[in-house]
Amino acid sequence: MARVDKKPRSNPRVAKSGVINVDNRKCLECRECEVACSLYHEGECNPSLSRIHVDFDDFVPSFPTVDLCKQCTWPACYYTCTSLYEDPAMYIDPRTGARIIDEAKCTGCGSCATTCPLMPEKIIIGYRQAKGKRTYFKCDLCKDRAEGPVCVEACPSMALTYVPAAERGR
Amino acid sequence: MAEIYGWTGKILRVDLSKEKITTTNTMKYVPSLIGSLGISAMIAWEEIRPSVGPFDPDNRLMIMVGPLTGTLASGAGRVEVMGVAPQQHPPCFSRSGMGGHWGPELKYAGFDGVVIQGRSKKPVYVWIDDGEAEILDASEVWGTGTYSTTQTLRRIHGKKTRVISCGQAGENLSRIAIIQTETENAAGQGGFGGVMGSKNLKAIAVRGTGGVEIARPSEFLQLCLNQSRDGQRPPRPGSDTQWPSERTLYGPNFRRHKCGFCSTVCTNTIYMNVPGELVPALYTTEQMCYGYRTISHNAQTEVRVITSNYGINGWEVSSGIIPWLQLCKQHGLVSDIDGIDIPVPEKPIEYLRDCAPSPPEFLRTILRKIAFREGEIGDALSDGACYAADRLFESKGKPLLDHIYPRHGGQVEHWGGHWGPGGNVYWPWWLPPVLQWCMDTRDPASDSTHQWTEHVQRYLTQSGPDKGPFPLEKVRAVSEKVYGDPNVCDPSFDYDPPETKAIPAIWHTDRGMIVDSLILCDYENTRVFSMRSEDGAADTALMSKLFSSCTGIETSEEQLQKAGERISNLLRAIDIRNYGRGRKVDEKAIDVGFNYPGKDDGVVLDRKRFLKLIDKYYELRGWNKINGWPTRNKLEELGLKEIADGLEAIGRLG
Repeated sequence: MARVDKKPRSNPRVAKSGVINVDNRKCLECRECEVACSLYHEGECNPSLSRIHVDFDDFVPSFPTVDLCKQCTWPACYYTCTSLYEDPAMYIDPRTGARIIDEAKCTGCGSCATTCPLMPEKIIIGYRQAKGKRTYFKCDLCKDRAEGPVCVEACPSMALTYVPAAERGR
Repeated sequence: MAEIYGWTGKILRVDLSKEKITTTNTMKYVPSLIGSLGISAMIAWEEIRPSVGPFDPDNRLMIMVGPLTGTLASGAGRVEVMGVAPQQHPPCFSRSGMGGHWGPELKYAGFDGVVIQGRSKKPVYVWIDDGEAEILDASEVWGTGTYSTTQTLRRIHGKKTRVISCGQAGENLSRIAIIQTETENAAGQGGFGGVMGSKNLKAIAVRGTGGVEIARPSEFLQLCLNQSRDGQRPPRPGSDTQWPSERTLYGPNFRRHKCGFCSTVCTNTIYMNVPGELVPALYTTEQMCYGYRTISHNAQTEVRVITSNYGINGWEVSSGIIPWLQLCKQHGLVSDIDGIDIPVPEKPIEYLRDCAPSPPEFLRTILRKIAFREGEIGDALSDGACYAADRLFESKGKPLLDHIYPRHGGQVEHWGGHWGPGGNVYWPWWLPPVLQWCMDTRDPASDSTHQWTEHVQRYLTQSGPDKGPFPLEKVRAVSEKVYGDPNVCDPSFDYDPPETKAIPAIWHTDRGMIVDSLILCDYENTRVFSMRSEDGAADTALMSKLFSSCTGIETSEEQLQKAGERISNLLRAIDIRNYGRGRKVDEKAIDVGFNYPGKDDGVVLDRKRFLKLIDKYYELRGWNKINGWPTRNKLEELGLKEIADGLEAIGRLG
């Protein structure tokens, strides 16, 4: 897992991914998606371990912001990780196309989070700190869940919709 | 100590007099008392002496969350506030609840509740940050409204900070002051904002980044996802969903909003950039629940902002104080306030709907006078209409309260088939709620009566003008299954046999105690009917399943129901020991209130026959029929031996 000096190479195109689309106008700011996500992935209800974040201010006359990985067609996080490591932590899920961090392999360098083009920083790709080591995590479209992403199922107002790779535009 | 699931295991205790912060172990109260309301009832029994008044430093202000708070269970965003309540007439230990995002944040910060006692020498607020708490100087926010307090504290502690605060009304010890969070969610009934003010406590700000550990995550996840989203009311004929259509889900000047962590069908609306009628400002605020009768939607929005900002109980003002003032004017007791005429309708007021709409100037004046206790009338109205009637107009306004208040409790009648606010409850469906009004320390709609009036009543094909989806046979079958008596949901039975009304009153009250302790929302729990199941019965064991899989403590529906009964009896015992509650007080609700037709159907409560319902209620509760006090047998059966001893020591054991 040592860091290696490799010649920059041209990044091979990766398979397109499915995506969770957000209509933030429909969002009811209930944050059920946050707890559903952390419950499914971490076994506890904890918004700070969630892969999706709802940011709202009830005093502000605007719709809430929902921060969630867009599973980029040109995934900077994935390219960074694969170009830095011989045995990278990030991989592409063959079924959904999700860009995923293998937490067992993650060294905690944080390059994926810093290259993520989506703002705000370190929200889309989060980390947890244990025993002096960071482990990064991000949305994996609930790849092992037959019913699809859990946040989509938990959302009461259908503000979240899952679009599989085949139906996704460019 | 074994690992704890559901609860965080710590209750924060803040003594403002000694400026001391300690923690207590939650686990010495649970699982027998579940959480929140159950725990604070026990703390109240142990610590609040009969002589403690609402504004005394010895009063405990308990703001508690339960094992399910902050989880995926629908309605898990709520928080319950308990203490000796000043709005109650006379004051007694009571409760109030609110939604929003504050409760879960407290849980994520690592606490099952905050118990505040003492009185600070100078204005302070409490800042809780991930397991740490400190008392900070509040001179910067003292004297400001709840909106600016929240925003100032968010500027200081970060924008994700959740804040509860009292407004100017609370600082001035109004008995109808609320504890406010965000723009509209508030613990309204009870006047707990005034309790905060009496402790010189302006706000509690919380930030937490922890979580709630779940014992069996996958089972819990599935339970929550399967939780019905039907809504309490059955869907309208011809539609399979109750969700507002996409067209009504958002617009250029409004968005929909929910209390935190809830997936049920009810939504509130945040109106954005509404121009005011009084001040040409743009207002953004959430609206739900109560409403003023005024001239326009814009005026309504503006006045609600004023109400929430001052921290005043808008429910009490809009459907209690203003109608009472209008009645007083019709009887020639008063004509204007500060030169602004009190609006009155031409015909005598019988129902809330008869009241005249108030101009915004009038509302603004009355709210300001209440918040700052301005003048004699403002000072009196700041205590709510029940207390004001004792002082104003040589007490001649007192009989006029009878239409509006069942008196003990000091809160506006609603969901009891009488007076206007709330929905329509038809004869004889309003008998169990009236029975609950008799026994409770407050307006029981916060946790118990909604289940019956909003949900159960509406499933039958013929209950008032509302047409439900189920034929009588189906309703009777479900009723047999859930209550053990098919006649309970059959409207052809009224006073006889009495158990048809006493059973649901007890059943839903105990369920309400569970809802307040877990904490979930009473709009969501408990359901009796369901559109999804084949026999039409809802899964009444849902709460016990959620509780078991969340905490890992296997609890059956019966055991949880028993815990609800335990909490009901404990609250009753506090009421009996501290405030001399008994049958005489219970009957007061039907002595002065509920004694005129609540609807155009002309049905009046038959006092003599209603007393039989009260008899039956006591009998099924295991309480003494003569004085309404719990018996030793009952208390010991519920594991409350020390409570029985305590009541026996003062000679009030049934």
